[in-house]
Amino acid sequence: MNIDLPFIWSSLIELLSAIPTTLAITAVSMLCGLAIGTVVALIRLYKVPLLHHIAAAYVTFIRGTPMLTHLLLIYFGLPVIIDALSDQFGWSFRSVNIPMIGFAYISFSITAGAYLSEVVRSGLQAVNKGQIEAAYSIGMTTRQALGRIVFPQAFAILLPSLSNSTISMLHGSTLVFTVSVVDINAKSQIIASANWKFFEAFIAAAIIYWGLTILIERLTAMVEKRINIYNRGGVT
Amino acid sequence: MIKLTQIKKSFGRHQVLKGIDLTVEKGQVVAILGPSGSGKTTLLRCMNYLERPSEGEITIDEFTLNCRRPSKSDIHELRKKSAMVFQQYNLFRHKTALENVMEGLVIVQKVPKEQARVRSIELLEKVGLGSKLDSYPSQLSGGQQQRVGIARALALNPKVILFDEPTSSLDPELVGEVLSVIRKIAKEGITMIIVTHEMGFAQEVAGHVIFIDDGVIVERGTPNELFGSPKEERTKQFLKRFTPDGVYSI
Repeated sequence: MNIDLPFIWSSLIELLSAIPTTLAITAVSMLCGLAIGTVVALIRLYKVPLLHHIAAAYVTFIRGTPMLTHLLLIYFGLPVIIDALSDQFGWSFRSVNIPMIGFAYISFSITAGAYLSEVVRSGLQAVNKGQIEAAYSIGMTTRQALGRIVFPQAFAILLPSLSNSTISMLHGSTLVFTVSVVDINAKSQIIASANWKFFEAFIAAAIIYWGLTILIERLTAMVEKRINIYNRGGVT
Repeated sequence: MIKLTQIKKSFGRHQVLKGIDLTVEKGQVVAILGPSGSGKTTLLRCMNYLERPSEGEITIDEFTLNCRRPSKSDIHELRKKSAMVFQQYNLFRHKTALENVMEGLVIVQKVPKEQARVRSIELLEKVGLGSKLDSYPSQLSGGQQQRVGIARALALNPKVILFDEPTSSLDPELVGEVLSVIRKIAKEGITMIIVTHEMGFAQEVAGHVIFIDDGVIVERGTPNELFGSPKEERTKQFLKRFTPDGVYSI
């Protein structure tokens, strides 16, 4: 078997230009997903009338269907809805104005939101009930108690899961090739088929994904060290 | 000053409080005694609405809350009148001792940070923790944590401080340091309601003792009346385990 090592190297260099796309999809989906997930988790925890049924349905549907399906549903469904609305209200906005990557942002945010809602919920529930009671007892409002006391502690608890989800999203973002967004994976396919060197190109892609994953792990460790000071009792 | 009228509370079908009436005057120290499951902690938690009474009326410092349908802002208003010291301390785990005490001043009472800091340090020194300002709760012993808890409650300058079995989860040798802090602030004329199992302490510090059993107030009076010559059979039975000089005879 012949492996063209120099070609792996040149593929690596070529793939660098696709890193921003992959990172953008991962970051946007995770941040929007975290926002959606937090709202959904709070709705479910506080059993907001009506909304908590909707929230529960959202979580079970999204978690019950593949991420690729979400992407395809958004890709084919959203334009129909948008164009119908535009016709209805006479907007000039058309679905063709949405960049391809926009579909990825929207659909992956929805996917991440469902998974992260469970992550956030477990984090919030892991914070001792006495903490919010103490916050109430000194006269805080629910908003203050959640924002200043509960969420900071919950975040420290859910950080490892969050890191896990981010890595999953990084790898899951490879699905965007189906809607012709050129991320690292799609670019490696292009390089591979143009040069007829599939194995080498995919090795290069694997190395980059691995590198990015290690980066996320390192970042997590750093953040964890910072915010968990109070747990280890290491400050003098 | 504090007036509870017909406070009732049920958990499911089990009625824990069966109509409690209680008046506490300004500056009074009231101890609530009673066996486990008698409803004494629930009663205390009702006073700042950590437990939602099923019925009744709570008045603290001329603010009256009807427990039937209180609004969120009414509950918030009522809570601001009191402060609580918890059995499990419940210090904010991610904040230092100083930050714990400052939190209510800065966030709730909107006191400027520098001023809050000075006041908080003062209070921590008062409870004997001037050297532990920057320690996190996990670095403090139970007794120290509870003293921070007391400083946190004092900082708010509340109309009343509610103590929920403040020494029950402490090692025996740490109980003393917490009790002496409570004793000290009792002398300053702060209104306090204390749920406790420390009979000797209740007898010494409280001006008024209440004995609760099975969701009703069985007997009330001065420590001398209640400990010296209890009238009710149930009270006598309960106090039998305890000899007047503050030692349990088990």
